[in-house]
Amino acid sequence: MTLDADTGVRQIEAEAAPTRFARGWHCLGLTRDLGDGKPHAVNAFGGKLVVFRSADGRINVLDAYCRHMGGDLSDGEVKGNEIACPFHDWRWGGDGRCKRIPYSRRVPKLARTATWTTLEQDGMLFVWNDPENNPPPPEVTIPRIEGIGTDGWTDWHWYSTVVHTNCREIIDNVVDMAHFFYIHGGLPTEFKNVFEGHVATQYYKSEARPDLGSGEGAKILGTTSVASYYGPSFMIDDLIYHYEHGDQRTVLLNCHYPIDANSFVLQYGISVEISDAVPRDVATNMAVALGDFVKMGFEQDVAIWKRKARIDNPLLCEEDGPVYQLRRWYQQFYVDVADVTPDMVDRFEFEIDTTRPREAWLKEVEDNLAAGRLPRLVGINK
Amino acid sequence: MTVRPDNRLADAPMRPVECGTCGACVLVRKASWEQTSVQWSSVARRRCHRRDGLTLCPQLRASIETAVLLGAVPVLTDPDAASAGEDQPHAHHR
Repeated sequence: MTLDADTGVRQIEAEAAPTRFARGWHCLGLTRDLGDGKPHAVNAFGGKLVVFRSADGRINVLDAYCRHMGGDLSDGEVKGNEIACPFHDWRWGGDGRCKRIPYSRRVPKLARTATWTTLEQDGMLFVWNDPENNPPPPEVTIPRIEGIGTDGWTDWHWYSTVVHTNCREIIDNVVDMAHFFYIHGGLPTEFKNVFEGHVATQYYKSEARPDLGSGEGAKILGTTSVASYYGPSFMIDDLIYHYEHGDQRTVLLNCHYPIDANSFVLQYGISVEISDAVPRDVATNMAVALGDFVKMGFEQDVAIWKRKARIDNPLLCEEDGPVYQLRRWYQQFYVDVADVTPDMVDRFEFEIDTTRPREAWLKEVEDNLAAGRLPRLVGINK
Repeated sequence: MTVRPDNRLADAPMRPVECGTCGACVLVRKASWEQTSVQWSSVARRRCHRRDGLTLCPQLRASIETAVLLGAVPVLTDPDAASAGEDQPHAHHR
């Protein structure tokens, strides 16, 4: 029970992280890195995958372990349209079938390994993970990102890191307005969430915090962010920085794939809109600078995640976001399609009242300014 | 892995509100005048004419505000909220 009957003490409850991995599209990284014609090892979904672009131009994703004697195909070599095992040169095609064993007259029956359906889009490689092995339904495909790949936007500035906790922690951020103040030094002015179908959206407006110092370059007045998870792991954030001289449009990708139940690879990508005022070289430098800022933000989150308890029964106040409803939405990816219930996918909207939080936070900002001190932020100076 | 109920709903559940424009019936909760939660069903969603994703439908918002004024939806920060909900004697105890 949540409440101890004798003492009235609330207990933290948490089941073990699920050993099943979410159904959905997962971004493994950029095709410019993974699609160079060499085999790449990716630890994901509780196993090891090999990613390789074959001579026909396709990017293929197979289980990394050869069904012959268990050789690691990611240590092998791409030969034509196949990946050759480093152990005995067995040749595996992108369809998962063994095509040829150079020293044998024929391939044995059942020479088939696990494959993942791939999608190359906007410079990224996605794989479809489904414990039920169904093909990806078209309605949950990752949307195209407007402008990416054109002269109007910079190439992705990309970052990847391993985080040692279950990936539910990063999902929770979708609804966690208050952590943007306490962890990331933001000052939220508007915050709402909408969950519907396989999409979970966060709308977030913030003002610059005067107690954080002026920093370098042009002064940022605030940000407007519309960020949606399309499925369990891939978020596109249309993020506008408001400067005194005008707005700067950017796209921030925030995505991950599970390594196992208790670790995941966290990745972000940033692209900045190019304009007359902001030519390509300036925009590229801006993407790098914003990337450093986002990296710091992730490190602040990680500092919390490393030490926090997993909690299935968070105790929420009215100024918190819809954590339980978000987790109900997220649960759809961890059950069979036949077991997805209406409450997981029916539209839910939540507008947070920011008036009381803002009163408290502006007071804290004023106190910091009066005392001439910087706010203490975890992972930075705390 | 089952998802638990929101602890905030224990004392103050969501209340039905019908949109005066399209007739969609949704569940609503207001912790304050500025906070709003809306739970749609697929039936209600099909009734609603609006397909734009992000903002709460202005007609539905108007219906919710009317429901608050009529006492059908308590606003939990309001000291009179307790009398607004027929079976919510503790709704103001936040």
